[in-house]
Amino acid sequence: MKRYEVIIVGAGPSGLSAAIEAAQSGLQVVVFDENGRPGGQLFKQIHKFFGSKEHQAKIRGVRIGENLLAQAKELGVKVILNATVLGIYKNKEVSVLIEKEVQNYKADAVIIATGAAENMIPFEGWTLPGVMGAGAAQTMMNIQGVRPGSKILMVGSGNVGLVVSYQLMQAGCKVEAIIDAAPRIGGYGVHASKVARTGVPFYTSYTVLEAKGNATDGSVSSAVIAKVDERFKPIPGTQIELDVDTICIAVGLSPMSQLADNAGCEMTFAPTKGGNVPVLTQDGETSIKGIFCAGDVGGIEEASSAMIQGKIAATAIAQELGYIDHDTFEEKKSIYADSLLKLRAGMFAPGSKGKVIDKTDEGYTISKSILTHGYLAESELSDFPALDTSGGEHIVIECTQNIPCDPCQSACPQGCIIVGDNITLLPKLSKEKKCTGCGLCVGVCSGQAIFLVNDSYADGYGTVGLPYEFLPYPKAGTIGKALDRSGREICDATVVEVRANKVMDKTAMLVMKVPLAQIGSARFFQPIGLESLEGVS
Amino acid sequence: MSTLRIEKHPIIEEYYKGPLVHFRYDGKDAEGYAGESVAAALRAMGVRIHRYTTKEHRPRGVFCAIGRCTDCVMVVNGIPNVRTCITPLEEGMIVQTQYGLEVGEGK
Ligand SMILES: Cc1cc2nc3c(=O)[nH]c(=O)nc-3n(C[C@H](O)[C@H](O)[C@H](O)COP(=O)(O)OP(=O)(O)OC[C@H]3O[C@@H](n4cnc5c(N)ncnc54)[C@H](O)[C@@H]3O)c2cc1C
Ligand code: FES
Repeated sequence: MKRYEVIIVGAGPSGLSAAIEAAQSGLQVVVFDENGRPGGQLFKQIHKFFGSKEHQAKIRGVRIGENLLAQAKELGVKVILNATVLGIYKNKEVSVLIEKEVQNYKADAVIIATGAAENMIPFEGWTLPGVMGAGAAQTMMNIQGVRPGSKILMVGSGNVGLVVSYQLMQAGCKVEAIIDAAPRIGGYGVHASKVARTGVPFYTSYTVLEAKGNATDGSVSSAVIAKVDERFKPIPGTQIELDVDTICIAVGLSPMSQLADNAGCEMTFAPTKGGNVPVLTQDGETSIKGIFCAGDVGGIEEASSAMIQGKIAATAIAQELGYIDHDTFEEKKSIYADSLLKLRAGMFAPGSKGKVIDKTDEGYTISKSILTHGYLAESELSDFPALDTSGGEHIVIECTQNIPCDPCQSACPQGCIIVGDNITLLPKLSKEKKCTGCGLCVGVCSGQAIFLVNDSYADGYGTVGLPYEFLPYPKAGTIGKALDRSGREICDATVVEVRANKVMDKTAMLVMKVPLAQIGSARFFQPIGLESLEGVS
Repeated sequence: MSTLRIEKHPIIEEYYKGPLVHFRYDGKDAEGYAGESVAAALRAMGVRIHRYTTKEHRPRGVFCAIGRCTDCVMVVNGIPNVRTCITPLEEGMIVQTQYGLEVGEGK
């Protein structure tokens, strides 16, 4: 039997962070992952993360994954892939299936970091080829480089459904609709808005009734959706048939806690955590001494918090095994706990799940339009603090929900944007500082919610600079249509420039010229002749 | 190349895959990249059906893409029940649609 001081199950963000922290403290660690590639969910996540600098905000998930792997390698952490952990026992013995052979390992402590599995909903035809998990679509397009389909229905409007929809468009697919059985969009308003302004319709209080197969090979050729009543029962006569070849399911995640359960850890059913989860101490220890959990397995949250949880568990183990003293432990733990607390704030925090929130922490009324249609109504925007009407070149920050995020604050070289230490507060604009029109904040904002508006561009015309992550970048002079927040065509527009640089990390700022009267409404550019967004050139 | 392959992506500079390789799919010549999943190579060719269920002969394709659901299993190099979504493509592989637990007639 092979021995290690710490065995970690799962090489996702939490498992890798735990391994790095443990190795830094001098512990001997091994990480097992059943996948052939390390990184868990991170390598599919090509969007920029939220949070603060300490949480690696504004860095894309895939890059965070690369950094974790490099760090683990440098520290000599042993990561064994294609290794499925079958069982964990009270005495910290672990049985692992490696190349069809069961091997036994023993450790002083075990960290379970197995993540979560996608939930499914059965409906007629749900087993047809072409119906898949949103995560599967993400793997196909972002890891394998192949489009899962051409015309997509997304079922579920939580962050996963919203982010994957956006990524499908970046891959060159057309998202026909995003539906949710709930009366409200579940994910961040900013994620919904960046999809809505390209013209994707949202159907809240809708469910999918049926996937129909085509005559050729039987794979999906359309989807029937219908409105539901308050008890989620379909209302007769409200069916709509959508012409789609792919149906992606993003109806939530469930912690993969079976290993902890089978080991005999005390479990609890917690709907706010996504299902059956082990009961954990603040350090992530289960009811069995020396067996810890970190990341989604203990409750669905985010990669940012999963990473911190991994570090906390590893720090606790390092102290227990005498690698760090009590004071060092307390010091580290308080830093990590503080960092975690910042992420667990705001209207989408784990503690707010299921609650209807209609005011921001500052007392502003939350946009109803964003919750049902995915975009802000212009009339609602005037209430918010970052709407500057001073004239000339200035920014408009359409960030209207309390989410933990602050990269905009440090992005502005002039110091125009103020969030403060409480990173869930909405950004405000400084009264003294003056915008120079550099556009860095437009590219840096992970929510793509900042626009650079110029109302004195030319006689009768203004410009709108918007975040743009689609290929090909239109050349200066390209003529097209300006779309409003709902994705509706409102006027002609001409591209003035597409600005991109290293700091903006592949989020370009597309500047378009529109009639002055439209600068408050024009929020997306659609080149003429391009029906859907093209990922291919 | 297939229009289902993403040739240029605004964020992803390159996908990690090896050289072009040849394989056989249901008795026909096919191409893909070494190291990508067999399922991805098939998807790029427009194939969505990987197998038919034993009793009711229902088609199945990729569902989870991470090796958990077994919907995507096929007969690979004569071995049935191979999860194609996590099996890397290799030169000369023989990939066949699975009917129940075996290869269908005439394949
Ligand atoms: C579309 C989408 C968008 C997201 N966007 C964000 C975001 O912007 N910001 C953010 O912070 N978070 C985001 N998340 C959430 C984030 O990805 C997860 O919270 C995070 O990956 C959880 O980390 P983890 O380490 O707990 O689990 P995972 O990343 O799921 O890793 C678990 C690992 O354990 C392995 N494993 C499981 N069982 C076993 C076993 N028995 N034996 C061996 N190995 C096993 C798995 O193969 C996997 O590699 C997003 C998630 C999705 C799906
Ligand atoms: S698609 Fe689920 S195992 Fe391959």
